[in-house]
Amino acid sequence: MNAKSHTLLIDTPPDTLDAVHKLLRAIWDSSPEVDIQDQMRFETALIELASNIFRHADSGSGVSCSLSVHISSDKIEASLRDTGEPGDIEIVDVQMPDVLAESGRGLALISALMDEFTYERIDNHNVWHIAKKTSRS
Amino acid sequence: MEISHKAISDGVVVVTPVGKLNMVHAHHLREEVDAILAKGQNRIVVDLTNVEFLDSSGLGALIGCLKAARQANGNLRIASPTEQVKLVLQLTNLDRVLTPYTSVESAYVIE
Repeated sequence: MNAKSHTLLIDTPPDTLDAVHKLLRAIWDSSPEVDIQDQMRFETALIELASNIFRHADSGSGVSCSLSVHISSDKIEASLRDTGEPGDIEIVDVQMPDVLAESGRGLALISALMDEFTYERIDNHNVWHIAKKTSRS
Repeated sequence: MEISHKAISDGVVVVTPVGKLNMVHAHHLREEVDAILAKGQNRIVVDLTNVEFLDSSGLGALIGCLKAARQANGNLRIASPTEQVKLVLQLTNLDRVLTPYTSVESAYVIE
């Protein structure tokens, strides 16, 4: 299979998570070889990450985010680069909070879903990367 | 997202959200459940049949609703989750406190 890349520029507001869902629907339509479980895990992680980025848009004048999704023969990955405030983030060993906590699960959920999850602050941008090995042979 | 509720037998109220239970819409669920509890009805089933996508905000809202129902001396259960919802519940260990029932009817059969 040839590797495929898709990119999307998101400005929030006014763009919403629906823009990300829409992009993924188009990607899954054009890559039917990606296992449905992998699609579900990847979409859940990417929406969680985008939510995290958008949430930090609420406190200021909005956030621009460039998203690229790359599908190769053994992996599906996304890179996001956003203009939001620097995240105070330690991704290593993120723990699920207490079962009755009402927040704080986002990053732990992404870690549980993905094989790779990294965050860096580069040139005044937040740069995120997630990847999942795909199940097909 | 659309959300509605309906009382069924034995004073159980079924709440039915339709669509994505995410950062944008999670608070609608909490408002709906708070309104039901305020009327003195405290046994709630959230029918997840038509929730096509759940994220950590949606989970937070479900936990908030569960705590509010317990505070009102009641309970909140969930029924009929889709595969994506089950995945998120399992990975966050929340299936321990929000055990999915296979149907709305089975959620309150055995007390």
